[in-house]
Amino acid sequence: MRRAPLSYPLAAVVAAAALLPVAVLLYLGVGAGPALSPRALGILGETALLTGLSVAGAVLIGVPLAVASACIELPLRRFWLVALTAPLAMPSYIGAFALFAAFGPGGEIENLLGLTTPPVRGLWGAALVMALYTYPFVLLTTRASLRGLDAGLVDAARTLGLSLPMALLRVVLPRVRNGIAAGALLSALYTLSDFATPAIMQVDTFTRVIFIEYNAFGLSRAALLSLQLLTLVAVVLFLESRVGSERERPGRPLSLRLQALPTTAVLVPAALVLAAAIGLPLAVFGAWLAREGTAGFDPAIALNSAYTAALAALGTVIIALPVAYAASAGRFGRGLERVTYLGFGIPGIVMGTALVYVGLRVPFLYQTLALLILAYMLRFLPLAVGAVRSTNERLDRNLVGAARSLGATPAEAFRRITLPLTLRGIIAGAALVFLEVMRELPATLLLRPTGFESLATELWRVYEAGYFGRAAVPGLLLVLVSGLALLVMTAGEQRIDNAPARDRQR
Amino acid sequence: MQRRRFLQALTALGVMGGPLRALAATTPGAGSAARTAVSVDELPPLEGELTVYLGRGEGGLYENVMDAIRKRNPSLTLNLRRGPSAALANTITAEHEAGIQRADVFWAVDSGSLGLVADTGAARPIPDDIHAFLRPSFRYPGWAPVTGRVRTLPYNTERVDPAAIPEDIMALPETDLRIGWAPAYGSFQSFVTAMRLTEGDARTREWLRGMQARASSYAGELGVVMATERGEVDLGLANHYYTLRLKAGMPDASVALAFTRGDAGSLLNAAGAMVLNPGDTAFNFVRYLLTREVQGYLAREAYEIPLVSGVDMPEGLPPLSRIQPPDMDLTRLSELQPTLALMRDVGVL
Repeated sequence: MRRAPLSYPLAAVVAAAALLPVAVLLYLGVGAGPALSPRALGILGETALLTGLSVAGAVLIGVPLAVASACIELPLRRFWLVALTAPLAMPSYIGAFALFAAFGPGGEIENLLGLTTPPVRGLWGAALVMALYTYPFVLLTTRASLRGLDAGLVDAARTLGLSLPMALLRVVLPRVRNGIAAGALLSALYTLSDFATPAIMQVDTFTRVIFIEYNAFGLSRAALLSLQLLTLVAVVLFLESRVGSERERPGRPLSLRLQALPTTAVLVPAALVLAAAIGLPLAVFGAWLAREGTAGFDPAIALNSAYTAALAALGTVIIALPVAYAASAGRFGRGLERVTYLGFGIPGIVMGTALVYVGLRVPFLYQTLALLILAYMLRFLPLAVGAVRSTNERLDRNLVGAARSLGATPAEAFRRITLPLTLRGIIAGAALVFLEVMRELPATLLLRPTGFESLATELWRVYEAGYFGRAAVPGLLLVLVSGLALLVMTAGEQRIDNAPARDRQR
Repeated sequence: MQRRRFLQALTALGVMGGPLRALAATTPGAGSAARTAVSVDELPPLEGELTVYLGRGEGGLYENVMDAIRKRNPSLTLNLRRGPSAALANTITAEHEAGIQRADVFWAVDSGSLGLVADTGAARPIPDDIHAFLRPSFRYPGWAPVTGRVRTLPYNTERVDPAAIPEDIMALPETDLRIGWAPAYGSFQSFVTAMRLTEGDARTREWLRGMQARASSYAGELGVVMATERGEVDLGLANHYYTLRLKAGMPDASVALAFTRGDAGSLLNAAGAMVLNPGDTAFNFVRYLLTREVQGYLAREAYEIPLVSGVDMPEGLPPLSRIQPPDMDLTRLSELQPTLALMRDVGVL
């Protein structure tokens, strides 16, 4: 009989820990009140409305840009692709904060330019922010579908007399529908989980009301709402798992050449989207920096963020290793890996609520950095697992077999073969977790130790106190961190782009 | 009645002009008049470690007090946990129930939050020597009021004729004024609690419903005052100091203060501190908050009403003859849960 892989028991422990928040919420929330009160229905309606509007906006922005970046010969194509994906790396609260402060009477646009603009807030404001920061999901998935098309089919349709727009509508659209749907669902998932944007824009979504309940320490009501939100998240995740991607026989990629005028017609809207999503926050924070300087910002806050993020990244990678190896080892291991993916579906505010309760029951953890880092680890574990697993799966099993046949113990084979060869994935995973933790807001807000401020909580504090000028330094630092996250993500993207080539060699 | 007399005394001083001496006049019949505030120099240095839960620090001014205390007491390690007062009160309550004790001192901007914690039995009794600095009507067993604030109706001076503003808060929904409020803000919720206690739940519900039709919500009351000044709304509901602070930075701002008479609309509430972990450091910390320096600073910079004698009143406080706060035991403002339930039920929260 073959012994179960060494990674299984360790991965099982990690998977059990990943189930902990859901177990706590079920314990707290079930029976905490009627599941369908008029108020809960109101929150559900508001959440659904915001999600629907955000997704619609993301599709309206993302699909045309995907067509432009995949099929049209644009100048500086690579630059535009990276730039147009950039908003994905920024936490949407940066945008929400900047738009909230820039628009409306008395806003920064009026202060600096003398132009009176309508305020950006409420449901429409939140939907605008969400669309601006989640359209890249739609762009990326749609673009991937478009790249998989055979241009021959469009040519055939054209020779049979369809105009170009009609050919796009009747031949291309039905075949990229799944790509658009996948991106739309990711956008919906992000909108459902996001806390700060609805909070800043004052829309009563689940996440905002959970925070209000937490503040009244109605933990069981917060847990009940959390379970309702998790149900919505589960529905979206289920739909997403059902959206398959059909593979077509590869052919010549679709490519459209435009005259000079239509090129500007593509680039101007693209530039406008970037100006709103990235330019505006930079301008607003920059203006505040010029006006108020760096006074009032304590550098210890940046250090706090970096230090905690480093600890969380290290811890996450350590627990991700057995899970990733177990996932490559067999079906049971893959099942354990699936369980750890729960963390990704649990919004930060929900994770925070569950772990605050854990802290109250286990006082030596209450309000400690350890509990906060545990929350980060559970939440961002899937990022590290995914990164480690993708390199681990490319690892040639024969190398480990060869080492073993040459007399190495399993531990030595792991240390000398597997670990060095998956190091790239480990570092990429750690970097992703580090950067996500730097920007995390809601769980930090609930779980931080007394006196602990991170860049994100400092921005929140400044928003609550109404001293917007002091947001300059934390805001700009968060944009910088987001830029680094983008670099790590696009580096990963390039590897994925190259992956099919490697698959074919095998 | 005592509080009304206290304000009338302030008014009398204001009419006389010159530097206002808050609470210098003793209340007739009060057996033990307040002791004049001492200077920090007369207090022993603070030592050891102290964790303070600080309820919404008024735009950093309370933090400046904390920094000053830190600077004066180098051997003190002062840990701050910030948050909305009500949230911290709920946190302390949950901690107390779970047998956890993290906060040594709770300094909250809202007496309802302090009352909530006092009801759990977590608060330690305030010693007589601290009570001695406070006016008799402000001597509560479980907490020490630090500064006062009055509920006001800031209105836009270009859009609203002050004569059109009702003197009865209950009549506000019947006007055609556009109103700004901040229902999520702790002071506002205390005001609604006061209304429930004086007018009853049914009338309060009716009032909230009536207001809902003509009110715009803001995140905080500074936002309310700014929106009023801009003319986004005609009139707001806010604590007095937001308007005074706005006018200090913008003397020709088109906003002024109106007051209702003898009802919840002109509630005089207090910020205060309570000790949760008895010890010299915690009690001495509270004594620091009642010194001439801290009280003077909060009156000057935060425009709050000092509650010890011998400290100047904040500048720009409107004629106090127009203020008639309701008679109210501030600890009863802790009956917040029914208020929140009512506000949620009506749909304003």
